[in-house]
Amino acid sequence: MAGKIKTMIDAIIDQRGKGIETLIATTKTKLILKGIKLDNYDANSEDDLGVVEKLREIANDLNVAIN
Amino acid sequence: MEIKTICSTKKTIGDVIIDIKEQSGDFDAKMAIFFASSKFGAESLSNQLSQVFEGASVFGCSTAGEIVSGKMLKGSVVLMLFAPEVIADVKLGVVENIRTENMVPEVFKNFEDYYKTPMSEMDFKKYVGIILIDGLSGAEERLMDKIGNLTDITFVGASAGDDKIFKETYVYADGKSYTNAALLALIKPAADFDIIKTQSFRRFGKKLTATKVDEANRRVVEFNNQPAAKAYTEALGIPLEDAENHFMTYPVGLMSGGEPYVRSPQQVQEDGSIVFYCNIIEGMELEILESTDIVEDTRRDVETKINEIGSISGIINFHCILRTLELEEKGQVDDYAKIFSDIPTVGFSTYGEEYIGHVNQTSTMLVFK
Repeated sequence: MAGKIKTMIDAIIDQRGKGIETLIATTKTKLILKGIKLDNYDANSEDDLGVVEKLREIANDLNVAIN
Repeated sequence: MEIKTICSTKKTIGDVIIDIKEQSGDFDAKMAIFFASSKFGAESLSNQLSQVFEGASVFGCSTAGEIVSGKMLKGSVVLMLFAPEVIADVKLGVVENIRTENMVPEVFKNFEDYYKTPMSEMDFKKYVGIILIDGLSGAEERLMDKIGNLTDITFVGASAGDDKIFKETYVYADGKSYTNAALLALIKPAADFDIIKTQSFRRFGKKLTATKVDEANRRVVEFNNQPAAKAYTEALGIPLEDAENHFMTYPVGLMSGGEPYVRSPQQVQEDGSIVFYCNIIEGMELEILESTDIVEDTRRDVETKINEIGSISGIINFHCILRTLELEEKGQVDDYAKIFSDIPTVGFSTYGEEYIGHVNQTSTMLVFK
């Protein structure tokens, strides 16, 4: 399976960024500081279970609902 | 006058207090922030300053050097007083026992009760936070991470210093002093505000990936699957034994939006690992950075901000001690101070800076229009 990581990242940025440029940028920086390499993932990226689990934890910490 | 800066270079707390009283006159302060050399007794200074500005929220921290409009000082106390026309409201909270606990949510609960708004819903354009944190706690990353999880409000600030003694640093709030603690001030400015984050580096053109880390001790064991110091020196093309001589001018940066979040190497360990002043997470890809001109870059960034927002009525400058040391080494201290000659400014030389996360070799500034 592929693309889940990118979907999760986008969901976090959408929900915490609220469509506001400053908050989108801040959310991206927060994710990078948490160790997520945003530029490494696109719709074709393999679903690395370690990264998926880490993103679930981050989403939970950020109070973001993701599927 | 809505913002007033004061500095005292008197030698004793008693004389400092008299001096500050005289300089402050009848200024009606809503908030007072102060930065003081660690040579002054923490509890006594905090207590007496709180009495001077009774009715105001008074807070600050110990330093490794002080900054006031046009001057970089040592062994002094600097203050900035804010009138209600600039600061509509402020609520202070102290997070204690930060080495072992993370009580940010409890302090945030107090902020929510005070402002009657959940922290998660507060408008980042209407509120701003200041964080001052024990600079020897090693807890900065955990606290900033928790703050960032819980709110969109920007908390800007720094790690307190102790004049490079590296023994004990203090934060001050409303007459008390705290170590192993962080002071959070949640401010509702009446005036417009903004943030400047400036660091003086360009990309060197080489990357290092942290492939093995000891996160708890801010230690990178391996970069690129090699002992960290070996990978670092090979990337720079220098002998292994020269690593530490290059740390200040060639730190590493975590890039976000083209902007480096600087991580400064501190020491090479016997096993070839490198201890940093800031945490690096396993798997992080870092750019090696090369230093540029602090004075030129800071002047440009301050001028850019003035052009953006029209004018600046006050700056609180959280300025890394490593930048101060570099300015001293290059004989640029006066040139740097002059950037702020015509702008009411206070600040201090810090043991680390806070903006979104914990960073090094950076100035984070809270700017009031």
